[in-house]
Amino acid sequence: MPRYAMVIDLQRCVGCGSCSISCRNENNVSEGIYWSHKITETSGTFPNVRFHYIPTLCNHCTNPPCVRGCPTRAMHKLDNGITMHDPKKCIGCRYCMINCPYGVIYFNWKDGHSTWKSDNAVIPGVTGSPADEVRKVGGKGTPYYNPERNATLPDIRPKGVVEKCTFCDHRVIRGKLPRCVEACPADARVFGDLDDPNSHVNQLLGKFRPFRLKEAVGTEPAVYYIRDFSAAGYPRTKGGV
Amino acid sequence: MDREKKVRKSLMKDFLGNINLSRRSFIKASATTGAAVAAGSGLSFELKALAASTGAKGNGMGQWLPATCQGCTSWCSKQVYIVDGRAVKVRGNPHSKVNMGAGCPRSHLALQQLYDPDRIKSPMKRTNPKKGREEDPKFVPVSWDEALDTIADKIMELRNNNETHKYMLMRGRYSYMRDVLYDRMTKIIGSPNNISHSSLCAEAEKFGPFYTEGIWSYRQYDVLNAHYVLLWGADPLAANRQVSYYSKVWGDVVDKATIAIVEPRLSASAGKADEWLPIKPGQDGALAVAISHVILAEGLWYKPFVGDFKDGNNLFIAGQTVDEEAFEELHTNGIVKYWNLELKDKTPDWASEITGIPAEQIYRVAKGFGLAAPHAISWLGGGPCMQVRGGYTAMAVHALNGIVGAVDNVGGTLKANKEYTSKFPKPDDFMDDIAKKGKKHEKIDQRGRLHIPCLKSGKPGGAVITNNSADGILNDDPYEIKVAIGYMNNFSFSAPQPERWERALSKIPFLVHITTNASEFSWFADIVLPDTHHMFEKWGYVKAIGNGYRHVTLMQPIVKNVWDYKIDETEIPWLLAEKLAERGFDNLLRHYKTYKDPETGKEPSSDKEFALYSLKYATQQLWDPAKYKGGDKFDGWEAFRKTGVWNSDPYPFRKRWGKMKTKTGKFEFYSETLKAALEKHAENHGVGVDEVMKATHYLARGERAFIPHYEEPYILGDEKEYPFIHVDHKSRLNREGRSANCTWYYDFKDLDPGDETWDDVAKINPLDAKKFGIQSGDRIKISSPTGSLFCTAKLWEGVRPGSVAKCYGQGHWAYGRLASKKFGKEARGGSSNDLIPAQYEALSGSSAYYAVTRIKIEKV
Repeated sequence: MPRYAMVIDLQRCVGCGSCSISCRNENNVSEGIYWSHKITETSGTFPNVRFHYIPTLCNHCTNPPCVRGCPTRAMHKLDNGITMHDPKKCIGCRYCMINCPYGVIYFNWKDGHSTWKSDNAVIPGVTGSPADEVRKVGGKGTPYYNPERNATLPDIRPKGVVEKCTFCDHRVIRGKLPRCVEACPADARVFGDLDDPNSHVNQLLGKFRPFRLKEAVGTEPAVYYIRDFSAAGYPRTKGGV
Repeated sequence: MDREKKVRKSLMKDFLGNINLSRRSFIKASATTGAAVAAGSGLSFELKALAASTGAKGNGMGQWLPATCQGCTSWCSKQVYIVDGRAVKVRGNPHSKVNMGAGCPRSHLALQQLYDPDRIKSPMKRTNPKKGREEDPKFVPVSWDEALDTIADKIMELRNNNETHKYMLMRGRYSYMRDVLYDRMTKIIGSPNNISHSSLCAEAEKFGPFYTEGIWSYRQYDVLNAHYVLLWGADPLAANRQVSYYSKVWGDVVDKATIAIVEPRLSASAGKADEWLPIKPGQDGALAVAISHVILAEGLWYKPFVGDFKDGNNLFIAGQTVDEEAFEELHTNGIVKYWNLELKDKTPDWASEITGIPAEQIYRVAKGFGLAAPHAISWLGGGPCMQVRGGYTAMAVHALNGIVGAVDNVGGTLKANKEYTSKFPKPDDFMDDIAKKGKKHEKIDQRGRLHIPCLKSGKPGGAVITNNSADGILNDDPYEIKVAIGYMNNFSFSAPQPERWERALSKIPFLVHITTNASEFSWFADIVLPDTHHMFEKWGYVKAIGNGYRHVTLMQPIVKNVWDYKIDETEIPWLLAEKLAERGFDNLLRHYKTYKDPETGKEPSSDKEFALYSLKYATQQLWDPAKYKGGDKFDGWEAFRKTGVWNSDPYPFRKRWGKMKTKTGKFEFYSETLKAALEKHAENHGVGVDEVMKATHYLARGERAFIPHYEEPYILGDEKEYPFIHVDHKSRLNREGRSANCTWYYDFKDLDPGDETWDDVAKINPLDAKKFGIQSGDRIKISSPTGSLFCTAKLWEGVRPGSVAKCYGQGHWAYGRLASKKFGKEARGGSSNDLIPAQYEALSGSSAYYAVTRIKIEKV
């Protein structure tokens, strides 16, 4: 059984967010919920300023506080290392959200894709309505709905449960890369098996000194980062006193 | 939400803490005849065949079909995942050598455009005869038949009255099928007025390369072989052009090259650059000539391209004039004249005061750039040159490529590769006397007048001056416009000072708009026709360059048409031609019937056939093995269609050295080409070149008009009343101006450095904000001498004090339920164009967007 992990090369990352938008698309995620996300910061004072970007997602921790705190085992580990959630068992207590040190678990306060349920037209008779569009196109929730998500998780998660990144387990079981990896134009994300010593993931982890988020809390994330987003050079100096 | 933000903030701190301990400090060193598919049914047979043959992947529910994205002008080849006739996902087409399978963030938003609930379902007509921003058009649906009958009647009226020149066609986003509608139809009806959007887009950017190396076009850059990349207002990781390709390779470029970026705002690309040169808006020319000065003074120019002093001693000494005879020039023209007339006094110290960039940094960048010769790229974006006096800046920035020998060279700046598409049949035989007479009138944009030379490709009056057409229409100068059609354009939103367009469009007695959404332009129309979406519903093709290749990528109908759309550039003109023929004027239809199917020799008999045949006709030399000329080879139309993209041969480096399309055949620092164009224009008006300079707001007189040089920017507004200079920029999520009705646009708006989700912010340096008592989140009104907008203040260190940066894209008052706050009534956010005056870089005809106006800010 493989043990999946992701390496994110920050030097290759261009901060474009294709990962996050394509994830929305792949997993039929509603507005305001970010299975794939980012931490950004503008550091420094003009004119010595830089913009930094770190892509984030569920870390699929080996030692996952979200799983340990879940009273119904809705949040659980798969044998392949993926931290999975079963909304049928979820009682919406949100302990997992409180326990997760990374803020990557989201609660569905309302039904997904609610704006698509509207029957209003901006120009009556000439333009359609969102509900019309979904009906006519034949989607579900949205016209561009992806039915393949349904293989391992309800395609659209109901109100009152949590949801988060699944490493695109529904793709991985079909031998396909997670969608964020496929869609990254910069090839900044590398996915693979930690148990395979020759996997590309292990090659990179051996070549660079990797970082994981909040290593000190002992969660053992399966998402690793290498190199720097802003790999700028600067004039050589010893500073001064 | 708050908790989430806090968590992320503290994560960033931890993370950066980790990085500080790292090794980083050691390293750097259908489709078918578009016939589409009856609504409600599944895929047509052809669609299924196409799907089956393009590699349907195991156990997926859909197929990846080829497509083309025109969300920006990168014009990438794509594939779309189709499930049951529905578009579900988008990715880069792996067959393209230009974008190499890479995508980008904005391409995904195409799905939300395609299924935008506010798209027009059927043709509609205005029932409120009064036109104006405040007048609800009261649109009601009509049939295609009724809509086209009405349009044909109006065109026939012009023909019967011998006033066909009062017909006008306005072009917005186009494919290369454009000439069917834009050129042939306009000419055969008999009007000179085919007005493109091009001068809103970039013409000043083409001015630089044309008047130095003879190419009126965008360039491509061999970044993987470059050692220095100097970007001028260009943001290749976010906007224009080949965002996909540059995103793919930038991580490697960072390794190999020093990257410096000149821009008053910390752009997406600046976030990953070695040097940020946050220049005072409008002063790019000063920096470009100072860098050139240093390279010459330090002896770093590329001698195998430029040549050298005969005795080998560098006589380029600051402040000293050089004898032209002392230098033996190779593939360039006028390096010594350039030094004597402009560069000799332009030291970093001189430029430092003007640009706000420290002299040490100017010197460091110049030296680094020069040492990297010839693998050093000076990359011109729109910012430095789409300014009132930006034409010579465009030349100065591009001339740097000449100085370091990067032109046409490995690791340098390249033109487009050869491609082999064909033009459509000539219209001449189908133009009757009315048409010929009509076409001879002056164009409505007044191009070529003394103050607007529009010197495209060396020809006075050769370039469009789009935004000036509004004034032509308003003043009936040279005459009134009675019937106008616009397609995929939105000048009353996308052009500076759009209020002029609102009045101009209101004044046109009969206006037609072909569009996907009821936009700010449609608001003034009499008839609105529902357009197909280019990426999923249209036959067409476009060409693009990057990675040392050119591709020609196809647009095809690959989804079910949900409503009754028709293709703007082919189906609609065909249907109109039929209507005109019914009325006794069949020239256009007879002309279109000459676009025969190259495979069968059949002439088109319907709009659907015409759409397909004309595309096959234009691309025949790419797919027909009997007509093969180069690049990728296909065994026929079906094979080409299934791959969706043709790639050129690789770039032939240094083939143009000594053979450039300039007057001298060389790379011109002293531009004989510009001299001839300016003298021709002056002669047309019986004046001297100095008067042309004066009429176009330029300060240069005499010989300086023929060389790249620095000009003080021409910025509207008094500094006391308007303390800030406005900095406009583009979003990595903009699909031109058409993303604002997509939820993903707002949910991810903070992908633009400094911007916020679900808001439209003006970015202000905290020092300035403090002076004016403004805080992040304050609702503010920004005003320029020509207009105002409302938005939210955001304090941000990534913007130069004295300037305020605001992203283009929001501020729609129509277009859809999300784009506007109240459709037809109230804008969401503010559009930069409401601040920008209708000013021009007149030598190219380009609208000025940058360093063109001062603004003030009030809390509201």
